[in-house]
Amino acid sequence: MQSTERAYAGIRMAEKEADAELVRLAQGGDERAFQALVVKYQRRIARHVARYVRRASDVEEVVQDAFIRAYRGLASFRGDASFYSWLYRIATNAAFSFLKKDSMEVQGDERLDEAFEPGVTDEQTPERVLLAKQIGEAVERAMARLQPELAEALLLYEVEGKSYKDIAQMLGTPIGTVRTRIFRAREFIARRLEPVLGPARDRRW
Amino acid sequence: MSLKVSLLLDGQLEAGEVKPALEELAADPALRDRYTLYGLAGDALRGNPTPDDGFSQRIFQRMRREAVKIEPEFDPLKD
Repeated sequence: MQSTERAYAGIRMAEKEADAELVRLAQGGDERAFQALVVKYQRRIARHVARYVRRASDVEEVVQDAFIRAYRGLASFRGDASFYSWLYRIATNAAFSFLKKDSMEVQGDERLDEAFEPGVTDEQTPERVLLAKQIGEAVERAMARLQPELAEALLLYEVEGKSYKDIAQMLGTPIGTVRTRIFRAREFIARRLEPVLGPARDRRW
Repeated sequence: MSLKVSLLLDGQLEAGEVKPALEELAADPALRDRYTLYGLAGDALRGNPTPDDGFSQRIFQRMRREAVKIEPEFDPLKD
């Protein structure tokens, strides 16, 4: 599934506007709006950071740093690019700052001599690795059982990065149908993720 | 309401509908759970099925702990 993420390339045309209202509210001090953006993007940002930073605990620290810097600097975000691409640049800078600091702190440390495999973080617990695998499998199984027109709409949106408007044109349906198909597809998957993830309290924000 | 969560995630709500939707989410943990699960489903489809495991929550806790505020002059890409 690595290639699908590359095809998606992190951003769709409509996404520049998609977060506009959440960002505007967050800039006005609405913490819930910023939280919604964090929950939406934390996984993508963490994967990006993990390309540079090795240890899982360091990835988490760098992602936290990036979101905190983003929040402090929200007033400087003008909407010239999408919020995600702005966040992506902040996270890149945070990762490079971390590596610089880390290399100064561990000069002479044998860790510097170890082979570094980009994107592979250690300290991932076996439970966490297993859970990620189970989530991936549950989503695949759900997609295989989903009504084809629902699966198609969701894949066009999430994997192909098409806008709702484009999907409506491609499928020859009103945009309202795209909305409900994407929602129904997500709900179908969500119900099958619940038993995998366990009690909801573990994932609430 | 879960439809609204799906539309919120995708930025498909009208500008005036976003704040009320956030208020509904704030009042209903089940809706926040939906927001998380829908996002996870999308990331899993893109090959990134990592569980949240309190990751987002720890970001918010640290922000509260450090009393992080919006700083009008701070540019995170320069400073």
